[in-house]
Amino acid sequence: MVLVVLDHDGSKLRKSALEGVTRGRKLAEVLGGDVVGLLIGPGADAVAEEAKNYVSKVFTVTGADFETYTAEKWAKAAQAAAAAAGAKAVVAPASRTGRSWTPRLAYKLDAALLEDTLDSWAEGDKVFATRYSFLNRVLEKQAAGLPAVISVKPNTTPLAEPAGAGTVEPLSVELGELERKVEVLEKIVESGGKVSLTEADVVVTGGRGMGSAEAFEMIEEFADLLGGAVGATRAVIDAGWRPYSEQIGQTGKTVQPTIYFALALSGAVQHQAGMNKSKVVVAVNKDPDAPIFKESDYGVVGDVHQVLPAMIEEVKKLKSA
Amino acid sequence: MALDFSLTDEQKQLQQLARRFAREQVAPVAKENDEQARVPWELVEQLYEIGLLNISVPEAAGGLGLGLVEEVIIGEELGWADMGFYTIPMASELGITPILLAGSEEQQKRFLGPLTERPSLASFALSEPGNGSDAAALRTRAVRDGDHYVISGTKMWISNAKEADFNVVFATLNPEMRHKGVIAIVVENDREGVSFNKIHGKMGQRAAPTYEIIYDDVRVPAENLLGDEQSGFKIAMLTLDKTRIPVAAGSVGVARRALDEAAKYALEREAFGRPIADFQAIQFKLANMKIGLETARIYTLYAAWLADRGDPAHISASAVAKAYASEIAFEAANEAIQTLGGYGYVNDFPVEKLLRDVKLNQIYEGTNEIQRIIIARDILRALK
Amino acid sequence: MKYVAIIRQVPDGESKIKVEGGQVDLSGTTMILDQMDEYAVEEIIRLKEQHDGEAVVVAFGPERTEEAMRTALAMGADRGVLITAAGYVDPITQAAALAKVLAEEAPDVVFTGGQQADWDSQALGSATAEALGWPVITWTTAFELEDGKAKATHDLDEGAEVVRVELPAVFTAQQGLNEPRYPTLPGIMKAKKKEIKKIDAAELGVGGSKVEIVEQQIMELERKVKIIDGTKEPAAAAAELIKLLHEEAKVL
Repeated sequence: MVLVVLDHDGSKLRKSALEGVTRGRKLAEVLGGDVVGLLIGPGADAVAEEAKNYVSKVFTVTGADFETYTAEKWAKAAQAAAAAAGAKAVVAPASRTGRSWTPRLAYKLDAALLEDTLDSWAEGDKVFATRYSFLNRVLEKQAAGLPAVISVKPNTTPLAEPAGAGTVEPLSVELGELERKVEVLEKIVESGGKVSLTEADVVVTGGRGMGSAEAFEMIEEFADLLGGAVGATRAVIDAGWRPYSEQIGQTGKTVQPTIYFALALSGAVQHQAGMNKSKVVVAVNKDPDAPIFKESDYGVVGDVHQVLPAMIEEVKKLKSA
Repeated sequence: MALDFSLTDEQKQLQQLARRFAREQVAPVAKENDEQARVPWELVEQLYEIGLLNISVPEAAGGLGLGLVEEVIIGEELGWADMGFYTIPMASELGITPILLAGSEEQQKRFLGPLTERPSLASFALSEPGNGSDAAALRTRAVRDGDHYVISGTKMWISNAKEADFNVVFATLNPEMRHKGVIAIVVENDREGVSFNKIHGKMGQRAAPTYEIIYDDVRVPAENLLGDEQSGFKIAMLTLDKTRIPVAAGSVGVARRALDEAAKYALEREAFGRPIADFQAIQFKLANMKIGLETARIYTLYAAWLADRGDPAHISASAVAKAYASEIAFEAANEAIQTLGGYGYVNDFPVEKLLRDVKLNQIYEGTNEIQRIIIARDILRALK
Repeated sequence: MKYVAIIRQVPDGESKIKVEGGQVDLSGTTMILDQMDEYAVEEIIRLKEQHDGEAVVVAFGPERTEEAMRTALAMGADRGVLITAAGYVDPITQAAALAKVLAEEAPDVVFTGGQQADWDSQALGSATAEALGWPVITWTTAFELEDGKAKATHDLDEGAEVVRVELPAVFTAQQGLNEPRYPTLPGIMKAKKKEIKKIDAAELGVGGSKVEIVEQQIMELERKVKIIDGTKEPAAAAAELIKLLHEEAKVL
């Protein structure tokens, strides 16, 4: 039995949930048993109507206790579902929150944690996974016994197709003292960014060389034009021009879009760790010696304040053609 | 089993700290400071904050009491990032050393103590417009007047002179006596009659402040005299015997930078269908840089080790290190420019600055010609 | 009060990673205190400076991890505890050993980096919190000690939130929490005399690893490195770029 924890936005499943189901099904083929799902939090009951088409059973955990996320609560809910399902393997998304609660679950289950995996499969009673390490520069293959908790890196796995109707089973999870120790005081919703960075096909990142917060308006325009997301380097965050959620790099987010635009940024190793698996990298910088050029497919040496507006015009022309 | 070429754990940590500071703070602003001939006082402050400034100040005066080996470790790292910047802390040690060698305990506390309390510099004023190598021919006059000396004259090519708290000034009570008439006296910058003219148009090391100092009948208390009225020249020479070693360390840093930049470029630049690093002509250049830098580094550490042990062999060893390191570094910078071709000739790339900077290492703190006189004297004295 | 930072020693980001016989070979590589763990060390030193108490660094790793501990001590931590074990040990297993040491130390707060630069794992803080039975707040960007509690701001998937947590608790740190200080030379010299207690993981009843690294290979994508000069005619360069992206790369 394999449990897949399904991420949702309150009304429908996220892409990562369907990636998780694909992984879950692959594991269940070898380990045996069904694939069951778990939905936690507000809207789980509604989303269950969609989710039940992908798995044989969907557990839902809702109620006042699960209105807001904490790592302790989500790990407890997953533990309850895993026990109820008799699951040998648990699949979850490797989102920021996913990567916060899955280690707790692994410890609870005395399970191996295969973290932020590119792929995962089973052979006999062992599970295997591939993932990146050393700041995204090394590809490694890991092996572990059961039970195992596997988190799935976004944008790595084909989305599952529906496979018949399963059942929905509300699961009651009692919170203990530990789960009541964190009180959420305030949510800080960030303005910018209509497209989620980790799911975007196009990312346009600006560095310190953009010169000001205002200069990012051009970047937003370009990203909008391409249906992409805006990213920023550590230096830009430090300068207070963009929010933390847009930071790409070792201490920020890791992205793997089809095109990554690196504008007016030098390309330090810590930044590259966050984007070096992008399919096509395009750099614009006035310094011909900037390290980013060596890690780019295409580059323009020049002043970004002149080159970018021209790029915007060219893309507009291309779109209308 | 005595011979041991390894650094202690603390020295390795020091090296890691200096390397990180050099890479993260000094290197990124080196080009701008060079172009603008700007003294990066904020870097001096940071150097002070992390404890790498004026490290030779004795513990009794509130300092770390560290030696030349530690200075050399720091010097190579800062020299790698910006030789011009490195001259600032290096010249400060140059100003501290006479006081270490000849100052009384009271003078050490009085002059060196304040250097540990806030970011501040010392300075050494020997050269004049009319004499550099012929130090004994200096013309700055000192006249005894009661319990003061009155200092008059002009000093030239003095690093840190204005930014420092004080200059150790070498002046003569009697020019006819040549070196026997020279005194070493600490002259604080805020005394009346002291003025500075910044020297502009330097070829390199433009982040380092260099001045002409004019002493116009400056009254200095006799308590500021280092040693006695006959010891000035000796103090100057003993000082330079030691302080030329960090110059060598800075040169090693420049040579290493030249090699780093040339090798990096050679792996990327293609000609005739392959990276130029495949060609023997380029490989030989890189190998020669390595030969020079490795031998200069080890010899500089050796000279520092001798000096820290008080071994008189350091006098000749420091001259060997200073002359040799500056020459291999100049050659390395030259070959780095050659490797980068046209790109080596423009200031978008960091190598042309290396040549402009390290040329001075062959001139200051005793020209390489003077170093050879010191080495020859040592050879011949042993045979007489 | 007692504040603990869990640290890890990793290769210097500038180092080139070598693979030998299907495994990463770190011999000859410069190793440093992980930069993300530095935020953790800086935070415990600040807490000690502001509220008094003891700042302790704890680590699980091979003997050479001691060098990274010395760096933390040179920054200003008071003493260290190193649980030694050779080879790769997964974060869940490490958490069991760390929890034993931390239960005995009984700190008020534990900080660690959000992710470390060798294993690229974000798990250690959370797993250790679970092993201790404490809450965890990941990706912390602001922290304020209150009486028996702490107020913190941390990142979620989208946006951030402000929480109040009952102590003791674990917090994982990232850029924005503070500006880590450089170690100082006087700090390096003082650190020589500070205590680093070493405990073999086996002594704590912890051994092996739940996860085995079967194989590692360098995975760096070859880039075209096609550079266009846009210094004189930026508009023309932009046009050429977009044309290449459309016709050659076929991504636009």
